[in-house]
Amino acid sequence: MATSGLRLGLGDLFAAGVRAVSRYTGTLLGVFVVQMLVAAACMLPIALVLAQTFAHLPLFDEAVDGDLVALLWSLRHGRVAWLAIGGIVFGALVVWQLVSMFLIGGLYGVFAKRPETRGDTARCFGASGAATYLAYVRLAVCALPGYLLVLFVFALGMGYVGARVETMLAMTDLIGPLAIALVPTLLLLHLFWTVSDYARVELTVRHESHEPGAFATYFRSLLYVLRHPRTLVHAGFGWMLFLLITAAYAFLAQGHPMYGVEGAITLFAVRQGVSLLRMAVHVGIMAGQVELGRTRPLPPRREEVKAETPSER
Amino acid sequence: MLVALVALVGGCGREHGTARVRPVPKVDGSPALRGGGAAKSPRIANYKIDAHLDANLHRVTATQTLTWTNTGSTALTTLPFHLYLNAFKNESTLFMRSSRGEMRGAKASASGWGWIQVDSIQQGGKELASKFAVGTEESVAELTLPEALAPGATIVLDFKFTAQLPEVFARTGYKGEFHLVGQWFPKIGVLVGPPGAERWECQPLHSFTEFFADFGTYDVTLTVPNTYVVAATGVLTSATDAPGGTRTLVYHAEDVHDFVWMADPYMEMISGQAKLEDGTVEVRVYARPEQKDFARRHLEAAVGAIQFFSQWFVPYPWPIMSIVDPPVDAAFGAGGMEYPTLVTTSGDTVFARPGLRLPEYVTVHEVGHNWFQGMLASNEPLEAWLDEGVNAWADAKVMDAMYGARSSAVDWGGWQAPVNELLRAIADDPSSVPSPLASAAYAFVDSQAYSGSTYNTTQFALSTLEQTVGPSKFAEAMKAYAQAWAWKHPTGRDLFDALSAKLGDLSSFVGPVWQSVGGMKLGIRTATCRLAHPPRGVFGAGSAQKTVGEDAAKPSGGYLCEVVVTNTGTMHAPVDLELKFADESTQRLRWDDRGHGAWERFVVERSEPLVEVWIDPENKLALSSPVDHRYRLDGNGAASLRAAAWIASFTQTLMQVVGP
Repeated sequence: MATSGLRLGLGDLFAAGVRAVSRYTGTLLGVFVVQMLVAAACMLPIALVLAQTFAHLPLFDEAVDGDLVALLWSLRHGRVAWLAIGGIVFGALVVWQLVSMFLIGGLYGVFAKRPETRGDTARCFGASGAATYLAYVRLAVCALPGYLLVLFVFALGMGYVGARVETMLAMTDLIGPLAIALVPTLLLLHLFWTVSDYARVELTVRHESHEPGAFATYFRSLLYVLRHPRTLVHAGFGWMLFLLITAAYAFLAQGHPMYGVEGAITLFAVRQGVSLLRMAVHVGIMAGQVELGRTRPLPPRREEVKAETPSER
Repeated sequence: MLVALVALVGGCGREHGTARVRPVPKVDGSPALRGGGAAKSPRIANYKIDAHLDANLHRVTATQTLTWTNTGSTALTTLPFHLYLNAFKNESTLFMRSSRGEMRGAKASASGWGWIQVDSIQQGGKELASKFAVGTEESVAELTLPEALAPGATIVLDFKFTAQLPEVFARTGYKGEFHLVGQWFPKIGVLVGPPGAERWECQPLHSFTEFFADFGTYDVTLTVPNTYVVAATGVLTSATDAPGGTRTLVYHAEDVHDFVWMADPYMEMISGQAKLEDGTVEVRVYARPEQKDFARRHLEAAVGAIQFFSQWFVPYPWPIMSIVDPPVDAAFGAGGMEYPTLVTTSGDTVFARPGLRLPEYVTVHEVGHNWFQGMLASNEPLEAWLDEGVNAWADAKVMDAMYGARSSAVDWGGWQAPVNELLRAIADDPSSVPSPLASAAYAFVDSQAYSGSTYNTTQFALSTLEQTVGPSKFAEAMKAYAQAWAWKHPTGRDLFDALSAKLGDLSSFVGPVWQSVGGMKLGIRTATCRLAHPPRGVFGAGSAQKTVGEDAAKPSGGYLCEVVVTNTGTMHAPVDLELKFADESTQRLRWDDRGHGAWERFVVERSEPLVEVWIDPENKLALSSPVDHRYRLDGNGAASLRAAAWIASFTQTLMQVVGP
């Protein structure tokens, strides 16, 4: 259904999200499994590194069970192990960033083309992810100055808080400066993330018929997002839900320590449930973005230029 | 809107308004010593000072009469004096060179220099200023007497001096309208040593060293703006308004070795009572209104500290204890310093939520100094550990008694930690300090080494000794030391002699701990277990030769377990070992490595295999890292898996932030 020319409200965008999640639940689960595999692939080496350092030391058992002093000793004793774990976590994030470019391309492609069967969905997902991957990489490079600006504003904000933190006495003293420090950073980050989202939608929806170019698409998306604040509200709502789910889990998990191997497995399972829920929210927002992105003015059409071969001459 | 928010929050400072004239304070009406009574100390150095504070210039002009008695056995021709404020005079002083203009997170300001100038010294009306030679290090000076001062004779000297306070960064000075006036008058050195071998102790001020002085009486008259609240050493005996919007306050103190005062136009005072066996002590906390929540916490900590220190060592002899909680912008420079009957505290920060007991700990520590240095007036420059470290050991006990042995430092958000164990976990390894514990403060390589040894290692060493000999015996010995050496100048040797008198010979512990470098490093080198069986092989010779094989020497069904423990440090003490077997049974062993090498092999035969070895299961040896004390023979990865699951889950959350 062509939606061009219609003015979509927030309700339409959320409805599109709900529809997409219920219709492409299998796709959502597929993406989630990939994420879970990356997380598990991160967990196993971490467990090995920790076991290598602490398996013979009962002190670490006490640390994991919440003994603060044992935790401090463990942090101090296993410095190299903790450094290695930091490396593993960083590596997992980098891998996920690279993998997610393919997955996001696939998801946007599916939401744009709305394939009917599972086979079509899988083909559409793979084709779209592969077709847009390099364009997304170029887009990521275009987005870097924006993120550098975010870092700069964050550093300014932290400097502002740092200069005052020594004299703060009450939480009310902290909240104001912290808000001043973080709100601009978060707003800017939200803006640039949303711009990237709409640029990706543009690259996915139009890549077959038009030649937008990564930089031009990013710039046009920036203008589009700035002119259409509902893009920000819509994506912001997704982040609010993300935070709410996380906070609700943290609240409900309080006072439920899960000990032993069974506890570890239960914990992992429960947290995967939370992650799945958050991913559903995220994917629903992406579907709404595709719905809105389709209504955008078209970029310049692709010019088909064929190189003439001697035989054609 | 954001700009408006920035302007709103950014503009929210702590405005105190115009300082108001304070009511004339009531005099204390109690003698300088609780219940009056005879002098407790020899009262060698007695001061009468009349001082005026210029609050705008942060300057004190004063006259001072010093009455000093030569308690030595030889006549004296010179007298040394401390001019402590000259330590802040310029960047060339020993203090500024050794501190690099920075101390405990506070930095010297580029313009707020401090100094003291002695304008006149007279003896019996005769001017001696020309005989008063300020040293190359200007924080000390020497007065050449016109006539030798005979043993037992008393000299009376009249001074006129001007003291410019520095912008506070190291224990004394001003910040805005807050004034902490410490080490501000010419102070005579201490004559120490046995008769015939006396020597002066009057060291220039170094950033690692604090103070050392003789006991005496102080009669101090302070004239300050009438908008200021004043707290000072001793009791207030008179308060009257004076011309020019000023007020004159007279303080009297007995058996103290220093006099400090605080003046601030915005502070409020709250008070409580510490109840002792022989009476009460009024505890006052001075803080600005925005710090009132912390003031209550300091008050509770101070009351408890006075009660426990009095019960365990010597009863607090003075009727008042004042706790000054400096304004937050002066806390690093002025907070956490001890003077007789008046201490400054700190730790007021948004992060010190109730249950995170840094503010309480600072107060307990500073109040505790009224015993360890206030009454037991050891030489801080030479033996800083004797007051800082001994006090830190006592503080941990007081905190445990007040807030619970499991949660004396932290009891917040489900986390708990006692003071001693928390400090152990975050303190530097004692073996990393390239100086013995019993080093002069100024001889440590850097401030980290100084504080690590002086505070932490001493605390852990005393705790180790306490646990080794038994807490009740140790408490009795420490009380005996405190009672024997209160109002004197004890040395480390005096402490160990007093402890040995009650606990027996401590030389095998004290020598390695206090006089050598290396720490205590206990560990389990190997722990193995195998099925036991009779010996196999070829036995005997000739016709009697017999081969015993696996068939003949079958496993007995028991296990032969071997454990090798080591101590690669230089500090040694008897150690308990607990072996735990598969059937949950345990076996205790004892290793006394003093003089028996740095390792020991233990072999035991049991019906069940060994599963765990635990050195020092009662956690008595605070000098050694507990990480290496407990070893499980078969690894167990459950905790690692659980921690990994948590970290992976956190990583996944981050993944969801940066991707779908």
